[in-house]
Amino acid sequence: MRQEEIGVVSRYSLGIDIGGTFTDIVVYDRETGRQFNRKVLTTHGDPSIGVMTGIDTLLKEDGLKPEEMGRVVHATTLFTNSLIERKGAVTGLITTEGFRDTLEIGRERKYELYDIAIEKPAPLIPRNLRLEVGERIKHDGSVKTPLDEQRLDKVADELVKNGATSIAIVFLHSYKNPSHERSAAARVAKRHPKVAISASCDVAPEIREFERASTTAANAFIKPLAHVYLANIAGQLKGRQVRAPFQLMLSNGGLTNVEEAKRSPVQLLESGPAAGALAAAFFGTEDGGGNVLAFDMGGTTAKLSVVDNGQPLITYAFEAARQKRFIEGSGFPIRISSIELIEIGAGGGSIAHIDEIGLLKVGPQSAGSEPGPASYGRGGTNATVTDADFFLGYLNPDFFAGGTMKIDLKAAERAMAPLMKQTGLSLTEVAWGIYDVVNENMASAARVHIAERGKDPRRYAILATGGAGPVHAYYVAKKLGLRKVICPKAAGVASALGLLMAPARIDRVATVAVRIDQVKWTDLEAAYRKLEDNAKAVIAETGLDPKKAKVTRLADIRYVGQAFEVVVELPDGPYTAASKAALNEAFEKAYIEKFTRTPPDVPAEFINIRVSVKAEIAGSATEVTLAAGGKGKALKGKRPVYFPEAKGFVEAAVYDRYAMKPGDSFQGPAVVEERESTLIVGPGASFVVAPSGNLVVTVPQEGAA
Amino acid sequence: MSEHAPAFGAVTLEVLWTRLISIVDEAAKAVTRTAFSTLSNEANDFACVLTDERGHLVAQNTGSIPSFISTLPSTVKHFVREIGVERMKSGDILCTNDPWKGTGHLNDVCVVRPIFRGGRIVAFAASTSHVPDIGGKIRSVEPREIFEEGFHIPPMKIFHEGVPSETFFRVLKAQVRTPEQTVGDIYAQITALDLMDLRLNALMDDYALARVTELSDELNRRCEAAMREAIRGVPNGSYEFEMKTDGLAPNAPFVFRVRLTVADETIHADFTGTSPVQPRAINTCLCYTFAMVAYAVKCALLPEIANCEGVFRPITISVPENSILNPLFPAAVGGRSNTGHYVPAVVFGALAKVLPERVMAAPGSPLWNCTQSGVRPNGKPYANNLFFNGGMGAVRAKDGESTISWPSNISSTPVEVAEQNSPFFFRYKRLRPNSGGDGRHRGGLGQDIYMENESESPIAVIFLAERTRIPAPGLLGGREGGRGDVVIDGTSMDTRHQYVLQKGATLLLRTPGGGGYGPPEERGAAARARDRLLGYVED
Repeated sequence: MRQEEIGVVSRYSLGIDIGGTFTDIVVYDRETGRQFNRKVLTTHGDPSIGVMTGIDTLLKEDGLKPEEMGRVVHATTLFTNSLIERKGAVTGLITTEGFRDTLEIGRERKYELYDIAIEKPAPLIPRNLRLEVGERIKHDGSVKTPLDEQRLDKVADELVKNGATSIAIVFLHSYKNPSHERSAAARVAKRHPKVAISASCDVAPEIREFERASTTAANAFIKPLAHVYLANIAGQLKGRQVRAPFQLMLSNGGLTNVEEAKRSPVQLLESGPAAGALAAAFFGTEDGGGNVLAFDMGGTTAKLSVVDNGQPLITYAFEAARQKRFIEGSGFPIRISSIELIEIGAGGGSIAHIDEIGLLKVGPQSAGSEPGPASYGRGGTNATVTDADFFLGYLNPDFFAGGTMKIDLKAAERAMAPLMKQTGLSLTEVAWGIYDVVNENMASAARVHIAERGKDPRRYAILATGGAGPVHAYYVAKKLGLRKVICPKAAGVASALGLLMAPARIDRVATVAVRIDQVKWTDLEAAYRKLEDNAKAVIAETGLDPKKAKVTRLADIRYVGQAFEVVVELPDGPYTAASKAALNEAFEKAYIEKFTRTPPDVPAEFINIRVSVKAEIAGSATEVTLAAGGKGKALKGKRPVYFPEAKGFVEAAVYDRYAMKPGDSFQGPAVVEERESTLIVGPGASFVVAPSGNLVVTVPQEGAA
Repeated sequence: MSEHAPAFGAVTLEVLWTRLISIVDEAAKAVTRTAFSTLSNEANDFACVLTDERGHLVAQNTGSIPSFISTLPSTVKHFVREIGVERMKSGDILCTNDPWKGTGHLNDVCVVRPIFRGGRIVAFAASTSHVPDIGGKIRSVEPREIFEEGFHIPPMKIFHEGVPSETFFRVLKAQVRTPEQTVGDIYAQITALDLMDLRLNALMDDYALARVTELSDELNRRCEAAMREAIRGVPNGSYEFEMKTDGLAPNAPFVFRVRLTVADETIHADFTGTSPVQPRAINTCLCYTFAMVAYAVKCALLPEIANCEGVFRPITISVPENSILNPLFPAAVGGRSNTGHYVPAVVFGALAKVLPERVMAAPGSPLWNCTQSGVRPNGKPYANNLFFNGGMGAVRAKDGESTISWPSNISSTPVEVAEQNSPFFFRYKRLRPNSGGDGRHRGGLGQDIYMENESESPIAVIFLAERTRIPAPGLLGGREGGRGDVVIDGTSMDTRHQYVLQKGATLLLRTPGGGGYGPPEERGAAARARDRLLGYVED
């Protein structure tokens, strides 16, 4: 289905980001670089209600007309939540005879070694809804057993009879030869037109049957929901006279159209964080030299992502819905391209406790928003990170959430008292301990994450967002040896703005599994061409000119005998036998960057080939002017704030972010308050308001605190 | 903080330990991603640790499997004793795979790097990894002496001040089937050691630490105290348990007998009465036996604490010499897991008498392994390992999980990958109904894997397969799990021998289920109905 031409430049763009708690609406004005935004509560029963309320108020209050919107871009956590809460369609699986338990047998590994009551993530499709048909493709793609169509009809009928409204089809070796999956999908769709079908060769055509089945099952599980939801929201926008094309953000930070999103909603799982990473790349480029560690710390978790040369890092494998403490292995493997993100249980609500050996631990348990930290005075009795932040003077009890919330400092102290008793530390030492430990948790996670990519953490600037991000960023930066902290303005809605900065992007993958010294170059070139043509067709569907699209070729390469591949960006095609040296060189370079040395005398092999096709969208946000500021006096006053360098509380200057002007410069120790968050700057640091509107802190270089 | 009187309180110690663990975890990632052996890269069959200058463990990578509990620190101590710190230079790499000084078999190559600071050794970085091949007989129970099991590396330097010993690597390459990969894996480990050196020095710079001695002492003191405290919660007394297992021949089971003595703050496991050493490669060195006991005790008493030496100090074992759990040189030990993996279940059996809520019924382990070898159509010889797991035992709180590796943590190879790499065609790989031991909580299910030789050339197969004669017992009235079976062309076979499969021959592997927990009469109607609906139990 071809949508309206969207290359046409129009003045306004509308971004909609539905999060777990809030829905952010942002409008960007291309002509002036201005942005308007609204935050409304997410309406969980029907999220479109919150969206429309937000849009209506924003348009009305800012005097904008719906028909002036040139494009609408949307991100949502709805699908991820549906996996976490397991509220999706009744889903069935049709698979190769002998293999219905692949989803349940899994990789046969424990994600936690010492827990004898461990629980595997239960499959999204229960065993009684996983049925088999006679068919078999061999590893070389040849057909051993033809598809038993009568049996297929029978099992499809049985699944539908048992309530399935969505069916996943996963046959062995379909990444090599998809013909059986394709004809089965067509046949079931014809027989049961109301049932959603997901074939693994379309969703994740990669070798390794468990991971492919897991991705396809997740897609099938959310597909009916996505269908209804996307149609509904698109319809309502039309009803509001917003006639602009409606685009969706993918987990990899690219955009796609509604049809592709309906076909493969699993690609949208990380759309919200992807928008956040794009925003971080945007806000960090000017002041961070393009290399940014995006640090988003909220109430229950902290998310970290790495931006290199202005581009967020992409991963091709991740896990959704980790059920235990964010531990690797406790979620569903998902094989799609996505912004690379680590999430740990460290937020303002993270609870401090003393473990069996008397050490102070923070998180991953969280007080959440109900009852919340003790200082919220809503019945919480556990000491949390936020309670420590108040005690240390980092947060202002009279100006929390812009002064809308009453803070009970005594309750925070009461909550920390048992920790004093257990550790023999003073109240101040306990509070600083909570702050320092949660910072180390995040710094350690970041250190391993960055090092895994063979990078040196010190070349990054940290960009802090989220309510707690700016409160903790400075001392996390010190632990990592980073020199710069960047705090964008209105960090609370930055993520929605990220939506309006994305190009259209379509990624495609295929398994080839061939040694580089045995490649048939015409075959390899043809395989790349096929992926490119497929991706370009979707770009065309989006209304963009595929001829202008930028094609990047990649491959998952390893040395023969290894089990993990390195995803390598390759030189442009077309490839011939003469390309061998260049491809080998690209792989070796990437390998050495990651692992410092290559092993002796082993040939490389291609496992998967990938293409990423990107097309710039006219009207993308390229420059954002934030509210001018500079009204009134920046210095609000002074208050005692704890700094480890001073080994105690010192009178620190407190500034009003809204009164700061570009070019202003300041010295730490200091506190900068704005409605959604507070930036802490330590002694010896200096900071300026950059022309971009960002606060940029220069961290003094010395040993860790 | 002052260099001379470091005070490690609840916060400083936590922050430093978190960072130390992040160092070994980072090193572990480097091993995983660069190793050639599937045992390292898919199975986590390796470990990375940091010890202080005396060899006391301060941090071990989070994912490292139970087999390596306490082994690397004792290897470091062997080096300190046999080579001496005064003879170690910066840039040296020490190496051994001596089963008695390493981890219990030749396949695990241990490498150690002394970490220098100001001209003094302040710590050791150490790593061990299961290399793809170490020569000798293809992995099976057949060897009778260690000399048949491969290339034996006595404790020695393989890098002198940063320069590799050409002689060593030349000799090693000549002994193994996969010279590039075996050497590649040793290099992967050395990369990890370099990384730990770099990172530890950076940490010591940041915190102005001259040495790690005090940090190590305080950490290990606290961990030891916590384990002592946990043991104090267990009533004093001696608790015995006996379990019979398959043995080498029918009607000649092995006996595992333990007498677990809890005395205030210590636990001692005495294996007197356990079967004697065998002239086959299924003996388990003392270091491995200890690791398995320590694993079971930690699971039951202190699962949450990260590994450090103090946790295990209150645990001791005694095993008579020339026991199957304490063989002496030159006994064959290659298939140690075949025996050693039973040990935690035996310890649980004894603990069940006083801590029924903290233990698990016997799982369908040891790990199963099928090694295939033959000649490809292109004339090249190959050898391939496939791993499969049975079900976990049930516990007080819940049913056992199906098809999970325990106590080890080894993934099975995806069928699509296995079919690429070997001439076997897989007809099915599915859960095995009725294999979970009945009980208030049901044991986890094993699986059935049915393969056929589709190639013109014959495939030789040999197994590590246990619980084919004596199944996993239930606990506290729970029933036993399903027995394992190896079926060739429809006939159950003795798993201790090698077989050759011609074209068209079929091989069915049936991994064992886990034992049940509590009397079957106490299993709820809803749980039984669910078992039926999902086909975990069938008529």
